[in-house]
Amino acid sequence: MSTKMNKIVEFRINRFNPETEKYFTSTYKVPVYKGTTILEGLQYIKDNLDETLTFRHSCRMGICGSCGINVNGKPMLACYTQVLDLGVDSITLEPLSNMPVIKDLVVDIQPFFDTYARIKTILIKNEEELKKPSEFTQMPQELKKFWDLTLCIKCSICHSACPAAIDERFLGPSALTANYRFITDSRDEGGEQRLKSMADNIWLCTQCNSCTMFCPKLLPCANAIVDDHCLIVESGDIPRTVKDVLESVYKYNNPMGTHQSKRMDWNKNSNVKTYPNVTEADVLYFVCCSNAYNIRNQEIARLMASIFDKLGVSYATLGSEEWCCGDHILRLGEKGLFEMLAEHNVAMFKKFNAEKIVTLSPHCYNTFKHDMPYSEATLNVQHYTQFLAEAIKQGKITTSKTVNKKVAYHDPCFLGKRNDVFDAPREILRSIKGLELVEMKRTKQSSFCCGGGAGKVWTEEAQPEKRPCVDRVEEALDLGVDVIATACPYCITTLEDAIKVLDVENKIVVRDILEILKEAL
Amino acid sequence: MEKYAHDILIVGAGLAGLRAAVAASEVNSKLDIAVISKLHPLRSHSVCAQGGTGAVMREKDSFDLHAFDTIKGADYLADQDAVEFFVKNAPKEIILTEHWGCPWSRTPDGKIDQRPFGGHTFPRACFAADMTGFHEMHTLYGKATSYDNVNFYDEWFVTSILVDNNTAVGLTAIEMKTGKMHAFQTKAIIMATGGYERIYEFTTFSHTTTGDGMAMAYRAGAPLMDMEFVQFHPTGLVPSGVLITEGARGEGGYLLNAKGERFMKNYAAEKMELAPRDVISRAEQTEILEGRGWEGPYGPYIALDLTHLGEEKINERLPLIRDVAIKLGGVDPVKEYIPIRPAAHYSMGGIRTNIKTETSIKGLYAAGECSCVSIHGANRLGTNSTAECLVFGAVAGEEAAKCASLYSFHEVSNQMVLAEEKRVFDGILGSEGNERVSAIRDELRRMMNTKVWIFRIGDQLESALKEIRELKRRFKNIKVEDKGKQFNTGFASALQLDFMLDLGEITIISALARTESRGAHSRRDYPKRDDENWLKHTLAYQTKDGPRLEYIPVTITRWPPAARTY
Repeated sequence: MSTKMNKIVEFRINRFNPETEKYFTSTYKVPVYKGTTILEGLQYIKDNLDETLTFRHSCRMGICGSCGINVNGKPMLACYTQVLDLGVDSITLEPLSNMPVIKDLVVDIQPFFDTYARIKTILIKNEEELKKPSEFTQMPQELKKFWDLTLCIKCSICHSACPAAIDERFLGPSALTANYRFITDSRDEGGEQRLKSMADNIWLCTQCNSCTMFCPKLLPCANAIVDDHCLIVESGDIPRTVKDVLESVYKYNNPMGTHQSKRMDWNKNSNVKTYPNVTEADVLYFVCCSNAYNIRNQEIARLMASIFDKLGVSYATLGSEEWCCGDHILRLGEKGLFEMLAEHNVAMFKKFNAEKIVTLSPHCYNTFKHDMPYSEATLNVQHYTQFLAEAIKQGKITTSKTVNKKVAYHDPCFLGKRNDVFDAPREILRSIKGLELVEMKRTKQSSFCCGGGAGKVWTEEAQPEKRPCVDRVEEALDLGVDVIATACPYCITTLEDAIKVLDVENKIVVRDILEILKEAL
Repeated sequence: MEKYAHDILIVGAGLAGLRAAVAASEVNSKLDIAVISKLHPLRSHSVCAQGGTGAVMREKDSFDLHAFDTIKGADYLADQDAVEFFVKNAPKEIILTEHWGCPWSRTPDGKIDQRPFGGHTFPRACFAADMTGFHEMHTLYGKATSYDNVNFYDEWFVTSILVDNNTAVGLTAIEMKTGKMHAFQTKAIIMATGGYERIYEFTTFSHTTTGDGMAMAYRAGAPLMDMEFVQFHPTGLVPSGVLITEGARGEGGYLLNAKGERFMKNYAAEKMELAPRDVISRAEQTEILEGRGWEGPYGPYIALDLTHLGEEKINERLPLIRDVAIKLGGVDPVKEYIPIRPAAHYSMGGIRTNIKTETSIKGLYAAGECSCVSIHGANRLGTNSTAECLVFGAVAGEEAAKCASLYSFHEVSNQMVLAEEKRVFDGILGSEGNERVSAIRDELRRMMNTKVWIFRIGDQLESALKEIRELKRRFKNIKVEDKGKQFNTGFASALQLDFMLDLGEITIISALARTESRGAHSRRDYPKRDDENWLKHTLAYQTKDGPRLEYIPVTITRWPPAARTY
């Protein structure tokens, strides 16, 4: 390189020596130029500073899939990431997760490729047709339907980031996407066989979206898995647990197995105004099925109401006309049922005159923002943490009591990864005197899913050690925190479940941000 | 030490290796086949092939036309019987991969689409956007892994071919994960290890394409043919050398000098940017040497202009190129010129084989870039390498299967394996000198780049030969810092460098001897093609004193050498 060096960047590399079976960290100073990739930095170290540093690499153009590593907690291709783009003076490099480490940054990729051994990645067609001496006709628009899904370089980054992949029954985002690629290929006739290979394990996907966020080739894996779900739901080959959730929604318009008339039971004092008694308010308070029916979470619904009261906000709920938002149902693949729920809710939003909608659950928030028909209704929607952070900033809420606790905030995937809401919940916690807010190792974009999304909060049946929530609580325990704070009713359910499984109820608790805020008021 | 036995051993898991595995398995499902590669198959350099695979698919095209284009492109050094066989067998490979699921780009009426390519007189490059090799590889991997009788040894580094009585009897390989050497016993071996362009500093090639297989076959006694012919691709991205496909020009891209001129009008007025690669690379180098290159922080370069193609076409036909240019070149080809210059790209030479992919050693076959059959002669046309891997990979698989069905296992003596262990572990890993492997490697690559580049001249080649012999001497005095067993990549680099040094020496000696200019071999001191003295193939044999050269005639069937203009 003949250009001027831009700066020296520190490479901190978490390593493993298989001879001594010891983990250790090495730190190197690497001269970085405009355009220098992380891979070039690693090569610089190997060629000039430490020949023993071990990593895989080959094409150095993002197509062979060799050089996936964790960079500052996020999995990426070393050859396709420029050091200066990271905008920091020190970077931490680690091997990919979910696979055993062989040496330094080299992991055993076999568990990832084992998933491919369970599916077919060639066309399935009858023998006679395959003997045809000319190509099968495929129109450009037919190719276009699956083209994006053919770009997987099998780097295993999605597998590394996937919370469901800790259960080896799961085919994983890459193989599931490949399956959908072939199902969508107009030449393929193996649909039934392909659905079968997925039907007993695809439900382990939590739709946390990590696979899609980190894919260096931008494959829409999470959406492909939803599309797989749709086909399996259509075929009827679904497990009892999933069937139960869907049937409850058919029957009651909510997944909780309880009649809609009980939806306002959380409102013990009957002080919250509801539709149709009220048809307009500044805020339409969308409570979410979990907070409405789950006795543990009803307290959260009440706390939000009391804060609205305290602030003097004009607000109301839809009462028994609030149906499930359908986020879990859509991601379980029941698109028709989702549309029915959404159309009802959108109609109610139109009948009810409100400036904005405030949701308790990140799932309602997410689907209102992104999924048709909600998205085309252009709703003004806020997650409650955004509403509260705003109120705190404006001085409308002031905390008076000290809360002397060490707290780690767990980002709900549908709030953080899917909507980039990372700051509002933290701002609320930081406003509380005495509270020590710490970050878990896997945080924000790299946060590790609790395992509750896409209906899994109701369908979980994995061995405890294979549940993402258990992994997550263990991570918090390692940090020595008193409280895991979160802002999603489903995260609360799964993480509390993990605390029971681990039998650590005397060491750590899970609290909604509202519950912590209440202590400080 | 464990000994493994398989009826067929395939070394290398790129296009040729995987195609061979499929073909062998199709011949006889009872054969026990092993594919051994130092990389996971999908990490092979074949995934980097971009622009297309050449095959006659339409009525207006013809085998004769494809054959003639190839032979003229080869500057008449190709063996014409092999070329005729090749062009006839290419179309069925396209159909097979299509039937297995390869997502070939399509015409509006749903047929496999084809784009123009340099030196071809008909648009015959079948393509899957600009990721042709990638898609062929992933398709073939899906196919090869669907057979129960194909076993994969991923990340096993083959160090030598074991030969007894001029018969290939087995090989030795180090399992990277454990660092242990194992012996393999076999009835037939197929070498499919690709090229060796990493011996050049500015190259389109992956870090791992170090020519191991060529060097192993050479050491086993097989001659390497036409090693002076190294192709320089006209469009290597500055500064990394990453390939920008010829398809970019196939789709209508221009090459511009610093005056903004399409300078190809002065070199190949008819074909312009779609002249063969040797012609364009020489033109670019001339423009740069005569001061008409663009000035950049990494030295002078040529501009590849795609801006007039429009965003839609670029996104549809050249999506990888756009991504790579943005990520690694810092330019968006929709709006800006791509900075490029010639980069070492392909070895026309390789392990000499006949049309059946047989080498001079019984039971040893070779296919793909590591081989020289020879269909590319002095200069390969774009799209003919992936096609070659498919066509001759299949032949190798079939021929090796026949061979393995006829013969029984040969004896692999402990003595042979112990000798190899000694060479590798004591001689290389255990060497306690003071030379760094990376330093010798970088010096080699820089030297090849300055002295054995596009334009060559006798005294520079002489000096290169001296230098490489000095580097070989210094290699005896290396020290591998990492003494660990498991996944020792420092050790692997040393093994690779050992192979690269042999290949560099053969390239220089072959180039020095050939006192003419033909195809990619361009001698300033002998600027003309000399059919009278040099219409012949170079063979390099290993001897104690370095490579010994012999020559054999070129097979001419129907196309006598003629002037080569574009």
